Amino acid sequence: MLSKDQIIQKLMEMLGQEQINTNPDDLYDASADRYKKYAKARKVLDVPTPVAIVYPKSAEEVSELLKFCNENLINVIPRGGKTATEGGLENWKDLTIVIDALYMDKILKIDPYNSQATVQAGVALQDLEDELRKIGYTTGHSPQSKPVAKYGGLLATRSIGQFSTLYGGIEDMVVGLECVFPDGHISRIKNVSRRAGGPDIRHIAIGNEGTLCYITEVTIKIFKFYPENNKFYGYLINDVETGIKVLREVMVNGFRPSVARTYSEEDAAQHFYHFHDNKCVLLFMAEGPKGIVEATGKAIEEATEKFKDGIIKQVDSQLISDWFDNLNWSQQDIDDEYEGMIENDAHAGYTTEISADWETIPKIYNNVIERVRNEFPRAHELTMLGGHSSHSYLNGTNMYFVYNYEINCAPEDELLIYHHPIQKIIVEETLRMGGSMCHHHGIGKYRNEWAEQEHGSAFYMLEKLKESFDPKGIMNYGTIFPQKEAIQKYIYRG
Amino acid sequence: MKILCMVKIVPDVDKFKYDFDTNTVVRENVRMILNPDDASSVGVALKIKHLYPGTTVEVVSMAPESVRPLIYDLVRVGVDRVNLITDKLFSGSDSYATSKVLAKYVQTLSYDIILTGTHAIDGDTSHVPAQLGELLDMSQMSNVIHIDEELLDTTKAVFTVDFDSEVATYEMQLPGILSLRKESGYKLPYIKYEDMNKDVTDSIHVITNNDLGFEPFEIGLKGSKTKVNKTFVKEYEKRDKVVVTNDDQGINTVYAFLQEKGFI
Repeated sequence: MLSKDQIIQKLMEMLGQEQINTNPDDLYDASADRYKKYAKARKVLDVPTPVAIVYPKSAEEVSELLKFCNENLINVIPRGGKTATEGGLENWKDLTIVIDALYMDKILKIDPYNSQATVQAGVALQDLEDELRKIGYTTGHSPQSKPVAKYGGLLATRSIGQFSTLYGGIEDMVVGLECVFPDGHISRIKNVSRRAGGPDIRHIAIGNEGTLCYITEVTIKIFKFYPENNKFYGYLINDVETGIKVLREVMVNGFRPSVARTYSEEDAAQHFYHFHDNKCVLLFMAEGPKGIVEATGKAIEEATEKFKDGIIKQVDSQLISDWFDNLNWSQQDIDDEYEGMIENDAHAGYTTEISADWETIPKIYNNVIERVRNEFPRAHELTMLGGHSSHSYLNGTNMYFVYNYEINCAPEDELLIYHHPIQKIIVEETLRMGGSMCHHHGIGKYRNEWAEQEHGSAFYMLEKLKESFDPKGIMNYGTIFPQKEAIQKYIYRG
Repeated sequence: MKILCMVKIVPDVDKFKYDFDTNTVVRENVRMILNPDDASSVGVALKIKHLYPGTTVEVVSMAPESVRPLIYDLVRVGVDRVNLITDKLFSGSDSYATSKVLAKYVQTLSYDIILTGTHAIDGDTSHVPAQLGELLDMSQMSNVIHIDEELLDTTKAVFTVDFDSEVATYEMQLPGILSLRKESGYKLPYIKYEDMNKDVTDSIHVITNNDLGFEPFEIGLKGSKTKVNKTFVKEYEKRDKVVVTNDDQGINTVYAFLQEKGFI
């Protein structure tokens, strides 16, 4: 086993000086992600700091690094834009190297004729979007982290964006990719429109959360952009059930608004302060060629008419449009939030996102809300508990549970006392009802104790992938694949 | 040094909701909390204990048995012992009767300084600390916002008092009573996760009227000099919310509002 100094020495033999970062503040920052943002801001993180952050410039350098780590049993955490929310970037090993995609930041090709673009893993989504807008195209991908997130991380976490109901999740956009395995092997999955060449191996890399391979390059679909045709619809409605029914009506009738959302009254109050009137909110955005937008708009109007008994009133569409313009985080927002957590004993906007079919989602929502209010010992300290559905499909939708609370405990105890018990109720209730506990944030480290339950008998397939591609277990220890001792140590502090 | 903190458990009146349709206060599900000013007194006592090992912090509270979970938490954050004065005979005591009960028990204890809150958020008469001073024959000062821990010893305390018009520093011979305000910024420490269910029953000492020996006419409603003539719920007006946008009109609206209220 190499010492930390020996590891750094070896890294210096492999990379240039500007590619190795051992700054203590940066290592502290690299030891956890947004899951522990409050403890991090208060400087009470209880996980080891990595030995170094390294910045390879090519797939070949990633290959050399992974081979070195594999041979010396050094844990590797792949990193992109640092917007992970479930502990995927948190470090649970004393000997860890963070491989950051900082220098793999080239947009390699924009190919509008074939509607695809190829980028390196460290390209920020916003940068590609900006380039595409210049030629009238869009990525169609717009997670709230859009200004900060990078393509490697978007793929690795199976990211989804606000316009997913039209464009799909990242998995629907990936054409081909390049990734590197722990033994140093570089795989390139070619870019074709479709093929039947055995199982779709793109999905071994997409969503692997850095536990099987390091993604270095991706080719994604790009879409013609018609902002001039956008139409917005907003309604105050009686309850979440009505909203879900309208969303379903639009989807099962064959329409694809780019945005289709319904908010509980509590969640609506924090998003739509300018018009919510303490009611639930339903909203849509129709996007694309004019004829499609008009047809989609008509379908939305018909669906709201069908369920008019649950609809209180329509609101000015400009209000919805304005809201969208200010929805995404910027790096400044993230920095401000971090600073705020140093000053304030409160946590705003913790979320747990799940999915299920149309019939089940309202039941899960109601069960969870009831259980949290009745079973969570600190329910009286919740300043907000609610949720919204924001990504719909032909057969169902997601539910984004959102909760804010005052923090009346030591910063290092916050997650155990507040977030974890709520998250546990949400996960338990979702799995019990047959839904998925992780719609789009990934499993990370803080839902891995339920990973086997999530997949049931199919977890066998994931385990075999891990055994095959990462037999020494060096890739992102503790993420997706549960490690009992580490869970006890870092989650339950046993 | 021995510090005695007198605390009161009160309903969390800040969390009362007001029903504008019926003009009533919604009292359901309102929780009991440690009176905020009193929490500051325990907060500074524990700070002193932390600075000067050997210091003991003892709490005295007159309350029904139902407050036990709250007083357990005081031990879990570092209080050495809680003396719970509880008896059905004490029920209905006004501030005068309460002071008599507290003073009689406190006379049986040894201490160097008594710390209390200045106001209680449920009654807000601020009678008890001053009445205790009278009954125990010692100095008392309210509105304390700072205690100089370095100059504190068993014979004297140097502290800062915030009056409405000025802030002044005083020195008091001990034993004496200092009554703090939550604006002092002294806070109770948080209970560590590992201590949240710690068994602290051995640190709770229950005192009843069997121990104090009051006659029924001296305490409770019969022993209270305060007679309530009438109670009513204050009526609040529902305020309209005005949402403005970040433009000249919005800025003018906010400016005019602040001017009207005298902030500008």
